[in-house]
Amino acid sequence: MRCWTASRSSAVRAAAGLCCVGLALGGASIARADDFAYQAPPPFTRPAAASDEGGLWAYMDHEEERLKHSSFVIRDPALNAYVRGIACRLAGDHCPEIRVYIVRTPYFNANMAPNGMMQVWSGLLLRMQNEAQLAAVLGHETGHYLQRHTVEQLRDAQGRSSLALFLGMAVGAAAGGSAAALVQSGVLLGGIAYGRDQEREADRIGVALMARAGYAPAQAGRVWAQLLEETEGAKAAGEEVSSTNILLASHPPLEERKEVLSAAAKLDWPGATRTGDEDYRAALAPFRLGFLEDEVRRRRFGESLVLFDRMLKASPRDGQVQYFKGEAYRRRARDGDAKLAIEAYRAALDMDGAPPQTYRSLGLVLRRTADPEGATSAFRRYLELAPDAPDAEIIRSYLPGSGS
Amino acid sequence: MRVGTCIAAAALGLLAACAPIQMQKVDRGQVTIGDALTLTADMAWNRFELQFPLSVAPGATQIWTQDGITLDALAFFVGVADGQTLGAQLRGSQKTLPLFRADMTPDEIVDLYEQAVTQEGSRFALERVAPARFGGYPGFRIEYTITRKSDSVLLKGVALGAVVKGKLHLAAFTAPAIYYYGRYLPQVEPLLASAQIK
Repeated sequence: MRCWTASRSSAVRAAAGLCCVGLALGGASIARADDFAYQAPPPFTRPAAASDEGGLWAYMDHEEERLKHSSFVIRDPALNAYVRGIACRLAGDHCPEIRVYIVRTPYFNANMAPNGMMQVWSGLLLRMQNEAQLAAVLGHETGHYLQRHTVEQLRDAQGRSSLALFLGMAVGAAAGGSAAALVQSGVLLGGIAYGRDQEREADRIGVALMARAGYAPAQAGRVWAQLLEETEGAKAAGEEVSSTNILLASHPPLEERKEVLSAAAKLDWPGATRTGDEDYRAALAPFRLGFLEDEVRRRRFGESLVLFDRMLKASPRDGQVQYFKGEAYRRRARDGDAKLAIEAYRAALDMDGAPPQTYRSLGLVLRRTADPEGATSAFRRYLELAPDAPDAEIIRSYLPGSGS
Repeated sequence: MRVGTCIAAAALGLLAACAPIQMQKVDRGQVTIGDALTLTADMAWNRFELQFPLSVAPGATQIWTQDGITLDALAFFVGVADGQTLGAQLRGSQKTLPLFRADMTPDEIVDLYEQAVTQEGSRFALERVAPARFGGYPGFRIEYTITRKSDSVLLKGVALGAVVKGKLHLAAFTAPAIYYYGRYLPQVEPLLASAQIK
């Protein structure tokens, strides 16, 4: 089931990308240790098929079958073991109930269906700076799961004769259907979402679970701050802020969240210090180039540039990220972006790990900015480094004397 | 032939697009698309008159098919001018499509095409882009695959294009890699080779 916290009014729609991060903690403005004394229910068993909950499970089982066969699921055993390990540390005795699916979709999302199907989207993985941040989001989702919020929502939907819409949203959660296609492309779907109180409860449980698993709770607040920074980046760049943006929805107010989160982080959490920066980086490393490509193709350049700057702050000599910063400018192609792109590409080439395409892209921009010699030199270097690239033939045709 | 399209539209990943689609026949012989691109067809095709963008080729001037556009789709984007998008935004999509500029290189046009046909979340992978003639002018040929979001089907595609007098003309054939691509490619290649741009 999806878990974003948009209001039920049709004016505020389910967030395509920014769901499930409602990290507000309780209704009180000051966090107390008591708020986090959470006792998880005993392990779940399958509900009776004839019950409403059993019907929901069957429905989600069907969607899970589709998801299992989706080409968008990343099946790499190491990455799956890593994410599943985090989910299990959070879920404790409920671990055997959870099946994790990592879905290659460049939006910020994770969700957990009542039958134990957990989805983690690649856009979330790219955005989290460390293991503790991922644990914060997965802990929140696990909170919804443990409290069976979806079932409450189902009963509420039945009462409001909006069951079809509810199930449509459930389908939207799985990656297979056309609804999912719309969801992940940012198309609006209205209606069903967790209520504000459910979000607060999930947030509170999420922090408790992550702290008990040894993760530094302050990282939950960082997740929120990072999202806010990206939204501010979009605004500053003059980009329209998505109407699906969770930050614009009528959730627990931002100030309340900030205040409570910051107070929660200051509570005494014995042993809860792990951030897991290095492990996280290593686990994501084989996939990061592809995730970054997906990110820049979203064409949400204001958000992406904030993300890239954040990544560069953590790892200042990262030529791969610096290259994608150039790509964001080149693809945005506003006045002045060509210069910024050239600077970014040149900086990337002075760093570690810039991909060969940096030369290709540099050449394309130089070609446009009346520096044909510079372009030719960059193209030649690209062809030396990547002679069999899919675009090698066309790049060769740009060289002097190629006849085109 | 008219097709009720609420169901078809849902299958194609569209929202609230229940207007009728009109399908017409393209007879063998010479046919002109968008007053600019002339082709000689050796076989008859079905031609879609589109009242709204379809995810297979959003905003295409025309889409031709033999067995239905989810099985084989030959899309024509004719006369895209400087400052316009290649294709159109799908209803409800929040993605801002990039604009065509007359001085774009073929690999930049690949980006435009990719953005147009992946709006609902399909994955595009470039296999090859190379110089080629199209419509009597120097142009380019793109070979690609698309993993369709709605059903995970792997599609193969080939597109030919050229920028003539500042306008982009592009024809793209896309079909499931299994069976359909190979079945109709032998007919599509000579059809596209017959193209003449005015």
